Amino acid sequence: MSCSVLNRISVAILLLNSALYAVPTRAQTAADTRPLVIADSRGDYGLLAPFAHMKNGPAYLYTSYVFDTLVAQDAQGNLVPALAKSWSRSADGLSWGIELDQRARWHDGTPVTAGDVAFTVSYMAEHPYVFASTAGIAGAEAVSATHLKLQLKQSDAGFVSGTLASLPILPQHIYGTISDPETFTQKAAATGSGPYILDTQDKAQGRYLLRRNDAYYRGAPKFPSIAIVKMPTDAAIVALKNSEVDVITDVPLDRADIIRSAGLKVVEAPSNHPMRLTFNHAGPFGAKAARHALAHAIDRQGLVDVAYRGAAVVAEPGFFQKGSPWRAPTVLDGYPTDIAKAKSLLTGLGWSQGEAGRWSRSGQSVTLRLVAAPQAKAVATALTDQLEAFGLAIELRLMEPAQLQEQIESGAYELALFSSSTMGDPGSLMRKVFGPAFNSDRFPDHAELRNLLIKQAVSTDATERLRILEKVQAIYAEELPSLLLVNPIWATAHNDRVTPTFLPDGVAIGIPMAMHKAVLLP
Amino acid sequence: MRLLSWHPSRAATATAAVLALCLMLPELLPPYVTTRDVLQPPGPEHWLGTNDIGQDVLTGLLRAAPNTVLIALLAAAAALALSIPFASLTVTSPRWLQRTLMRVVDVLQIVPSVLVILLIAAWVQPGLGGIALLLALTIWPDDVRVLRTAFRREIARENVAVARQLGGSWTYCIGRHVLPAMGPVLLGLFLQHVRQAALKTAGLGFLGLTDPRLVTWGSMMQDALDHLHTSAWIWLLLPPAACLTLFLHGVLRAGGRLERSGQTLTTGLA
Repeated sequence: MSCSVLNRISVAILLLNSALYAVPTRAQTAADTRPLVIADSRGDYGLLAPFAHMKNGPAYLYTSYVFDTLVAQDAQGNLVPALAKSWSRSADGLSWGIELDQRARWHDGTPVTAGDVAFTVSYMAEHPYVFASTAGIAGAEAVSATHLKLQLKQSDAGFVSGTLASLPILPQHIYGTISDPETFTQKAAATGSGPYILDTQDKAQGRYLLRRNDAYYRGAPKFPSIAIVKMPTDAAIVALKNSEVDVITDVPLDRADIIRSAGLKVVEAPSNHPMRLTFNHAGPFGAKAARHALAHAIDRQGLVDVAYRGAAVVAEPGFFQKGSPWRAPTVLDGYPTDIAKAKSLLTGLGWSQGEAGRWSRSGQSVTLRLVAAPQAKAVATALTDQLEAFGLAIELRLMEPAQLQEQIESGAYELALFSSSTMGDPGSLMRKVFGPAFNSDRFPDHAELRNLLIKQAVSTDATERLRILEKVQAIYAEELPSLLLVNPIWATAHNDRVTPTFLPDGVAIGIPMAMHKAVLLP
Repeated sequence: MRLLSWHPSRAATATAAVLALCLMLPELLPPYVTTRDVLQPPGPEHWLGTNDIGQDVLTGLLRAAPNTVLIALLAAAAALALSIPFASLTVTSPRWLQRTLMRVVDVLQIVPSVLVILLIAAWVQPGLGGIALLLALTIWPDDVRVLRTAFRREIARENVAVARQLGGSWTYCIGRHVLPAMGPVLLGLFLQHVRQAALKTAGLGFLGLTDPRLVTWGSMMQDALDHLHTSAWIWLLLPPAACLTLFLHGVLRAGGRLERSGQTLTTGLA
């Protein structure tokens, strides 16, 4: 009797043992075939094709899994060959020779040729693409199937990092017959040459399934398939703990400890996508001293502590933020909070403070209209409280982008709060500072700054360009076309299957996301 | 609750007292401002804790009280001010106009009111009065049918017929004979609107459509939803939810008393 019990026990132990050994093997196999699941709280980004995706950073980034550019970024952000095997510039900086990788194929098997690149350049001249401008290219000529010559209108310092690294190349055999690409939303529109092929898209659920492009010319991508799923952050954290999700692209920093305590990882970095206060330069803040006064009246560390609970750093006033390859290491004093100085600056402009501490200007009490997007509610409220404590009456309005744009273009505001990228090649700085777009600084002409911005954009000498940008940084900090307030820290959570990294100058045009394409490649 | 029992003079005194308190309250309270004490649990310094931008929850609750209550009362009154003249027209005007007006009501009842609120509020960011008016605009079409029936019954009475024969205008007849007789119906509708408006204001807060600094119990509950994953929801969500529940309970009790005192016409108004 006892013998049979022992027998049973040993059999049970044996079974248990084999089960224990079997578990990791099964898990391993499962891991190999399981898709990489990326959870994202935002959702539908449109079809992952250059003209059909939504006009925001994540949509561009996910589209880059499907569409390759001529030049790519590696996991550290360095420029590396992609569709272009090599590239060279003429001495005057006006013409470029590009040698294509002849192994590159479209997802339907057709080879990628210099003709496709020349087609993309002319097609995008006709149908401008928000994330990459071909306006500086005078002409593109396919010399052979793999050799391309590009002629620029003027020398462009950021041509490789700004244009070649962000311009998705389109297949001529598909887009050649499309006259209105924005309404071209059939699956064929998502035929790219990138490492992943769009399999299915569920618009209602905001889900995408992409499968590996086994014939990818830069080597087989790491994961057999990728699923991008819309999921509220807290649900995604639970799913990450249960290994149902591998990456959460955007986690609030206050959840980082919960995630780390579960043995998972969180990578974080200042977004360099700061919250900035822009001025209606046609109003009272057309005067530099008034902008300086505001800068001294605002306690930016206070905004970090109150509105971000530490998940941000105080932004630097010279446009470029710490970590940016374009930032000069000059120490900027950054307008420390100094109420007395702020008051004397305003008084110097003829403003006066009434009995209740309320400011008035030429006898009229001042009420400033501050407009912001709903997402900026916390920081806008904290800022309003600070300004009101200083004696400035504020009329705060939160509104959706379309209405915000309309209000700003009609000039119905004194102050506006935005968050926008300071990363990417500074070739676009001219537009960001002097441009007419509602989210640019809309700064009135400033001859010296304008000249410097033009000079750096066409400079062919990297050292000289950095020297000019150092001056730009100093003038920007002094003139305050807009006041950069706080630089939020963004975080991405992940498990061991994948290692996302934030790039020092962002992805392509400066998108502060860690799940860039290099993460998926061997 | 005794104050709310039906007695014209007591009710009027009570209403005046509540309104006066509502208007004075903000002056007496500390300011509702952001501080560095973010997400502090309830303690001696902040009796009900603070929210995620360091605003004191108790101050918020008290400051939200007049906003929430005033908006509800204003919206209820404004809805009646719209529906009474409209309903009277649907009974006294020529037949073709009556039919047209009723079709207008049909259309307004079919269009989902949330859509209308969303559409208008997204573009005008209303203040206190604006919100009340917006809510009133979405509430009043529902009254018309009820009021129309009551109007018809009252107009068919002898006193009205006599007054008309003696040359009384419709305005005179309605003001002098019809409306006074409809008092309980109007009061019942008013209470119903208060309840609806209080709930819908909370809804507006949830949609982020109200003036961002106009604090209501609804907007406080909305802000609390970001903190369901931590224990902060206990002091962020429960207090405004409790206040809103109490207020609605009070309104329902008052309505109940009216019904019991037999002065309301029944017909499923509650």
